[in-house]
Amino acid sequence: MGHDLVIGILLFFVAGFLMAFAALLVGKFLRTSLPHPDKDAAYECGEPTIGSSWVQFDLRFYVVALVFLIFDIEIALFYPWAVVYKSAGIAALWDMLFFFAVLVLGFLYLWRFGYLDWVRATEGQSRKFDAKPDDDLGKAARQWA
Amino acid sequence: MIRGVNKQQMVVGGIGATLGGFAALVLLFIFRSQLADLLADQFYFSLFLALGLFGIIMTAVAYCILLERKISAWVQDRYGPNRVGPLGLLQPLADGIKLFMKEDIIPRHVDKGLFVLAPFLAFVISMIGYAVIPWGGEFRWPWMPEGETLKCQVASIDIALLYILAVGSMGVYGVVLAGWASNNKYAMYGAMRASAQMLSYEVPLAMMVLVAILTSQSMRLEDAVAFQAGSWWTFAYHPLAALILFIAALAEANRAPFDLAEAEQELIAGFHTEYSAIKWAMFFLGEYTHMITSSAVMVSLFFGGYLLPDFLPGAHWVNESTNILAMFARMGVLFAKIGIFIAVYMMVRWTLPRFRYDQLMSLAWKAFVPMGMLIVLMQVLIIYNDWPQWYSLIGNIVILLAGGLFSAAVAKPITGRQVSLLKRERGMT
Repeated sequence: MGHDLVIGILLFFVAGFLMAFAALLVGKFLRTSLPHPDKDAAYECGEPTIGSSWVQFDLRFYVVALVFLIFDIEIALFYPWAVVYKSAGIAALWDMLFFFAVLVLGFLYLWRFGYLDWVRATEGQSRKFDAKPDDDLGKAARQWA
Repeated sequence: MIRGVNKQQMVVGGIGATLGGFAALVLLFIFRSQLADLLADQFYFSLFLALGLFGIIMTAVAYCILLERKISAWVQDRYGPNRVGPLGLLQPLADGIKLFMKEDIIPRHVDKGLFVLAPFLAFVISMIGYAVIPWGGEFRWPWMPEGETLKCQVASIDIALLYILAVGSMGVYGVVLAGWASNNKYAMYGAMRASAQMLSYEVPLAMMVLVAILTSQSMRLEDAVAFQAGSWWTFAYHPLAALILFIAALAEANRAPFDLAEAEQELIAGFHTEYSAIKWAMFFLGEYTHMITSSAVMVSLFFGGYLLPDFLPGAHWVNESTNILAMFARMGVLFAKIGIFIAVYMMVRWTLPRFRYDQLMSLAWKAFVPMGMLIVLMQVLIIYNDWPQWYSLIGNIVILLAGGLFSAAVAKPITGRQVSLLKRERGMT
């Protein structure tokens, strides 16, 4: 059975790669090539681009990636469990429910403190931040102001 | 006329191709008994099926693009492509030739290795999900001994759905690499948005697949289909789960109304801004292939897979016979269902306006994930206690209503006049 999978995946993989590669290779003989300095420029705004775009990006994307990672692992654990838990008895059920509860707790924490909000800079979301004027976050905010 | 090829060469090429095809037919005829033996073996049959499917799907994808243009034309009261061939049916061919012939620009400022690798990844990863989809159940060639059957499936494995989940998650790589390698701000923003969106919607998607696994108590897609034989299809018991799965699949494919990654007005074309010609085409082939895969999984899990509804005449024969014709009929049924799903995808795209990014994220994390967790929990208890299946229908409706009422109760406008935190800090309001 595992044998089948390897063959099937390899076949699709190789076929896909070969086709894409053949498309590039065959195209190489057919297509025109008229290099021009303007074609090498970044497609941004018509003016020469200022700076590289390999810059830092917003922390929110990392948070999403982290939360996703945790949930995805949970679900990947759930899949095989879901197939056998009925025959594995009550202990399996309670184990997973406990695990699930921990996850839900984490999820509620994220929700409460606004990590699930995308827009965070306005008063609509501000109740989520527990910053007082005299604590660290509040001082940092004043410094930046 | 192709540049550098004259008429004489084209005639010679045509004759050569015809002769080659004829020779292949003769060879097939000579080795027909060996071929029959090979086709009767599951392993070699899988190989042939994989190659055949590759061809079918590539053609289907090309025609999906035509269908998309036709549907958009229909929605917007236009004609759509109608010049190349009857009803524009040769348009995909013309597009393909055009994309082959176009100049393939690799700008100087990109990371060249990753820039070339990204479309390959996007394309290949969307292909390999097909390996585990049951296309037509079990069947028997007329020359095989009685009682033996073959599975019309490339790889029949125990962890098919886990595999689909893993492959689906890998789709992010193509997008992120493309955006990063392009060294273009629009591409970068598009890729970041797309990856965050795909990750977010992966979670409810995987949860809804988990509901289907719990229901059929198997991670095999063919078991999920067999479970639905002779009863209501799973979506009748899990309407909310099927709906969430559909919407999440829509977002996962970066399709409108969730096409934030390539919001034209803001980001030109998103992560594939810098791509042209055949590499650009590979992203598109990947996107449409992904649509077909996700529709196939959705149909298999919630909409009866290759089964015909029982009340139709001949449904019994189509669903259960091991005759080769019945197998092709089942394949046709599956393709028809996939086609319906894709048409719905397209009509949604041309009907609904685009989401705003924060709405998109909160839809995933604050609506679908909690609802999904509740549905999973409900289904775990229902299966464990052997409660009747229609309990889950009630549960789904209750969860939908509860979610709706809850969000209506806590809803507050996020647009309109907002006061910045700093201003409030300084007492300026």
